[in-house]
Amino acid sequence: MTSFARKLLPLLLAAAIPSVAGAADYTVQQASSKLGFSSNFQGQNFDGTFNKWTAAISYDATKLATSKFDVEVDLTSAKTGDNDRDGALPGADFFNAAKFPKAHFVTTTFRQNGTQVVADGNLTLRGVTKPVSLNVSFKPQGAGATLDVTGTVKRLDFGVGGGEYADTSVIGPDVKINAHLTLTAK
Amino acid sequence: MSLRSNDRQWGSVAKFFHWLMALAILGNGIFGLCMDFAHSPMQKIGWFAWHKSIGLTVLALFLLRLLWRAVDRRPPDEPGPRWQRAAAHMVHGLLYVLIVALPLSGWWFNSLRGFPLQWFKLFNLPALTGKNEELAHTVIGIHEYLFYFLLLVLVAHAGAALKHHVFDNDNVLRRMLPFGKLRGTNSQGEKP
Repeated sequence: MTSFARKLLPLLLAAAIPSVAGAADYTVQQASSKLGFSSNFQGQNFDGTFNKWTAAISYDATKLATSKFDVEVDLTSAKTGDNDRDGALPGADFFNAAKFPKAHFVTTTFRQNGTQVVADGNLTLRGVTKPVSLNVSFKPQGAGATLDVTGTVKRLDFGVGGGEYADTSVIGPDVKINAHLTLTAK
Repeated sequence: MSLRSNDRQWGSVAKFFHWLMALAILGNGIFGLCMDFAHSPMQKIGWFAWHKSIGLTVLALFLLRLLWRAVDRRPPDEPGPRWQRAAAHMVHGLLYVLIVALPLSGWWFNSLRGFPLQWFKLFNLPALTGKNEELAHTVIGIHEYLFYFLLLVLVAHAGAALKHHVFDNDNVLRRMLPFGKLRGTNSQGEKP
């Protein structure tokens, strides 16, 4: 083997490995992406969004084993269109953002459920880590893709709104997650 | 006592509406003024929910009462000076207006604040208008002062009734009392 080949081989391997072993990495276009949630208060649904979050997305529909989502959410950035509620959410009774400023979701496995791709992962929120599953809809578009994710989180699993706020006849038990991400290839 | 009113006294349905609504309006008004004493936000939410549910009930009872009034005959005025009868009718009219205005102004405030409106956790009612927190500030003042005004009108209403009962010894109050026995020659109020 020539010295040229000896130098080139690791480079070739390095270049080849991600395309063989890993899913493609994407950058999130924050301006056109949204991390939303909705729940229920006194029989009325409300929608909210997190304005500050980051997501590392590696995904390939044919390489689910190496796909991965890693999302970090700033819990002080929740907005629901009501000042009282927005003021209460980061407080100790709900997210307790002073002690746990961020929520973290990382996938463990992706599985095919019929035609639906489901991402199983762990959500760490308010110091509690529990499994959460999300439905994934990934649509390649040109050099990038759009990624839509939906799922349900039981707020009381994480102690969000515990104590007297645990009354689910006033504050609904389920928080529906809906995210729309615009991705460009890295 | 019959369900319907007769020429001498109010029937039990009219009495039922009168006293139940009197109790609900007074109770809910005083309760409403105390709601700031809730010791926690969740208790306040719960108290407001009760206040709103009772207020909506008053509104519904009022509509039923109007319906009943339309089909029920009403006893004619007890004899008295013309100005007293006119004043009594004016006060009744004012009370009717306030009975509607109080819950509606509360509903209006609730809508302006963007709060849900739920009746005893059973069903929700829509907002009357979009969110406007600045206007909400004014409307909650109106809601509160309407109750103070109602108390004033009530002083005239109940004061006059008591005056007739205690000083004039007539049937003005007796014919509306739940188990009132009428005074005078035809004290049964209705023929068997």
